[in-house]
Amino acid sequence: MTELVQNLIDGLGRGSIYALLALGVAVVFGVMHLLNFAHGELITVSGYAAYAAFSNGWSWYLVAPLIVVVSVVTNLLIERIAFSRVRGSSEFTQLLTSFGIHFLVAAIFLMYVGARVQTFAEPGWIADTYSVGPVRVEVFDTVVIIVAIVTLVLTAAVLQRTMFGLSIRAAAADFDAARLMGVNSDRVIRGAFALSGALAGIAGIFWLMRAGHTSPTSGINPMLSGVLAALIGGLGSLKGAVIGGLALGLAEVMLRTWLPGGAAALTQGVVFSLIALLFIFRPGGLVNVAHAERV
Amino acid sequence: MATRSLVAAWTGNRRREAGLLFPSLRRDVAFPLAGAVVLFAAFVGAGLLYTLMVEGASAEKLITAMFIDAIMVIGIQIYVGNTGVFSFGHIGFGAVAGYAFAIFAIAPEDKYTRIPNAPWGLADVEMGPLPATGVALVITLIVAVIVGIGLGRSGARSGSVAATVITLALLFFTHEVAASWNELTGGERAGLTFGIGDTLQTRTPIYLALFAAIVLALLFARSSIGRLNQAAREDNLAARAMGINPVVQQTIALLLSVAVVAVAASLRVYEIGSLLPEFFFFQYTLLTLVMLVVGGRNGVTGALLGVAVITAVRESARRMGSDGYEIFGLGLDGNLDWVFREGLPTVLLGLAMVVFMIWRPNGVLDDWEVDAWLWRRFIRQKPPAAAVAAPEPDALDLSASGVTVEFGGFRALDGASIEVSNREIVGLIGPNGAGKTTLVNVMTGMVDPTSGEVQLGEMGLTSEPSHSIARAGLVRTFQNLRLFSSLTVRENVEVAALMASVHRNGGSRTDIDAIVAGAGLWEQRNRRAGQLDYGNSRRLELARAAAAAPAFLLLDEPTSGMSGTESLAMVESVRSMAAAVGAGVLVIDHDLNFITGICDRVYCLDQGRMIAIGTPDEVQADAAVKAAYLGEAAQPGEDRT
Repeated sequence: MTELVQNLIDGLGRGSIYALLALGVAVVFGVMHLLNFAHGELITVSGYAAYAAFSNGWSWYLVAPLIVVVSVVTNLLIERIAFSRVRGSSEFTQLLTSFGIHFLVAAIFLMYVGARVQTFAEPGWIADTYSVGPVRVEVFDTVVIIVAIVTLVLTAAVLQRTMFGLSIRAAAADFDAARLMGVNSDRVIRGAFALSGALAGIAGIFWLMRAGHTSPTSGINPMLSGVLAALIGGLGSLKGAVIGGLALGLAEVMLRTWLPGGAAALTQGVVFSLIALLFIFRPGGLVNVAHAERV
Repeated sequence: MATRSLVAAWTGNRRREAGLLFPSLRRDVAFPLAGAVVLFAAFVGAGLLYTLMVEGASAEKLITAMFIDAIMVIGIQIYVGNTGVFSFGHIGFGAVAGYAFAIFAIAPEDKYTRIPNAPWGLADVEMGPLPATGVALVITLIVAVIVGIGLGRSGARSGSVAATVITLALLFFTHEVAASWNELTGGERAGLTFGIGDTLQTRTPIYLALFAAIVLALLFARSSIGRLNQAAREDNLAARAMGINPVVQQTIALLLSVAVVAVAASLRVYEIGSLLPEFFFFQYTLLTLVMLVVGGRNGVTGALLGVAVITAVRESARRMGSDGYEIFGLGLDGNLDWVFREGLPTVLLGLAMVVFMIWRPNGVLDDWEVDAWLWRRFIRQKPPAAAVAAPEPDALDLSASGVTVEFGGFRALDGASIEVSNREIVGLIGPNGAGKTTLVNVMTGMVDPTSGEVQLGEMGLTSEPSHSIARAGLVRTFQNLRLFSSLTVRENVEVAALMASVHRNGGSRTDIDAIVAGAGLWEQRNRRAGQLDYGNSRRLELARAAAAAPAFLLLDEPTSGMSGTESLAMVESVRSMAAAVGAGVLVIDHDLNFITGICDRVYCLDQGRMIAIGTPDEVQADAAVKAAYLGEAAQPGEDRT
């Protein structure tokens, strides 16, 4: 029982980060039907920004907001340079664009900073724990969960209460119709990328705190987690993305505990295959992207 | 089939007996074979020329690797190019084949050092490289069948997220199994290694495989299966309405494609002499995909061009980095350390991908193909003789009875019934939202009715899949045009004729040219359907439907968006097409002049119910019809039912 609660908290901590990443993937998918394989590169870029800041003696309290800002700016730049030019192209084209960016960013860092893993100090409290009855809880998990809840509540408020949020939700439901109703597509798409960048930035703070290092290829894992969680949640659905993130976090912790030793390394592949099976056996049921075709 | 066509060709009886797999022996077999020779000679020649100019073992290695990459990329092209389904997973199939090959081909004494405890006694297996390739091929094809069934079930089509996810899952799953099943694969770090001197020593098998791959890919693209795949790539729904079952066609393309990939992967492992999980993972996926899209994924020529260009770019980037900015004596001045350094090749790959997606998503050559070019260049086509009217077919009735369709709480059709014989032209009219298109959708299997029956003669068609209904003889057109837009006008008609010869008229061939000419499209026959103007697009859609040799043509607003004179011309077109193939017609339209001009009988639908049946004059005079329909029809505007 204690172990289960322990796993639950661990899984929720992980899952909260995934949820933020997945929400970012889903927001962008909603407005342009792009499964963004470049999403993880936001963490690569902000990781190097953080590393540079630490080298200049900054503390985590200054670096954390820096990460969010860098992540937002990077996402807007990527949108402006690449995605805005393939808007309205086939899914094939958009997907490969993001795939190309994923490699491009990693290769640029490899070229100019080097393959070496750059480490930085984790905040002192990262390993601290406190006890609630028999359960030991990490301060880190607690902070992550609280920040994630606050972020999600704020995001929900923005999406539900503001005109911008309304246009994003309208665009996610039916982009063409939303445009015909006068939603400014440029602004909505840029807004979606900014929001997605901010969410990735907040997730990035904790991702980097826990990792304590960055390298050219450090974008791949957050990208996979975000994309997988968004897929579990149904891609276009924002609520689903959050649920998908939490589910993925819990599933990972549970699989790691229950799978026999050798198979533990398989978790990502197992999760991936489970999702593929869902697609195969419930085509269209999992994902609400298959808009009924007009005949 | 091919043998029979060959015999037929020798006996000079080509036209009637040409096989179903290759509609035209000259265009679809002889020219692709000639094209394959040209492509192979050009590609291999370029590679060999390079090894002559730049001597040394590393240049030889580079060109060998390029030839193998070319086989791999052609393998991917067969699937991705023809079906339009995007696959990340082909390198995953490569991993399966690579490991299968290595495990069977490596000598036992070399296996004892890395994987002595391999399951099922695999460490003791001793086998030559050729049988090992065969084993790898079989194992990989088994995996491909499983994945293909999955893709089929998920409704994979061009642009589907499901296909991306399933193939990506395959890539990750194979990689993780390879990285963690140490007893079988040697794990992530050690991997598998051939003994010294046991690796590939000659290029002969590579040349053979490359030539075979080019021949296979070109023949496949021209075969009827390839053409049906291309049609489904352009428009999945319209393809199904034509009688094509995309799932079956795509699975065939997948198996062929994976077979080529498996051979390429075996050669790659055999040539490198060792195998690690990362050999067949993201980086190689990126490389092969960039090669595929830069030249043009829809053609074999494009794929080969991409392989050559990307190999050259990568090698130059590498050499510039290591040789002080010099290749072939061409030097660059100044301090360019910031450009030419480690990582540049990958940067260029990523950049090439992004730039091409923005600039030319279909690659430099798009679907330009050497054999098609030769064909257009050297074969003059004569305008055909007029079509001969089909003999009067046996009487046949199409009926829908008591059809009710509910979408959520909304009742789109409420017990509607209709009957059409194959000797008449029947109109279906009604105000916007009356359920006209829904009724046609039910009859063609695109919407399942809540209740009601659809019958063709004695045959029940209710809720059958669209492609079976089309094969039974109901072929439709669409209100919003659905042509196979990057195929030519003639190819659009040809695809339909192919389906007809397989499923409708017992192998006898429809005269495609006569149909194209009959629709007034002879001059445009080699243009892409997507480039036609509106009126011609409508005529092409009609011609395509007629070429499917249907018993019934279901036309959804054939004159929508046409002027009065154009509509009247359409009356003649529909009449002559229907007469030429001997089909009954059910036509939805708003244009009353058109309807009265063409129809023998008219049905009127309002709010899901039939409110009137009769001759055009009777229906026009009907009070209920006037109330429901005529008032609204006076207003211009599109039906968006």
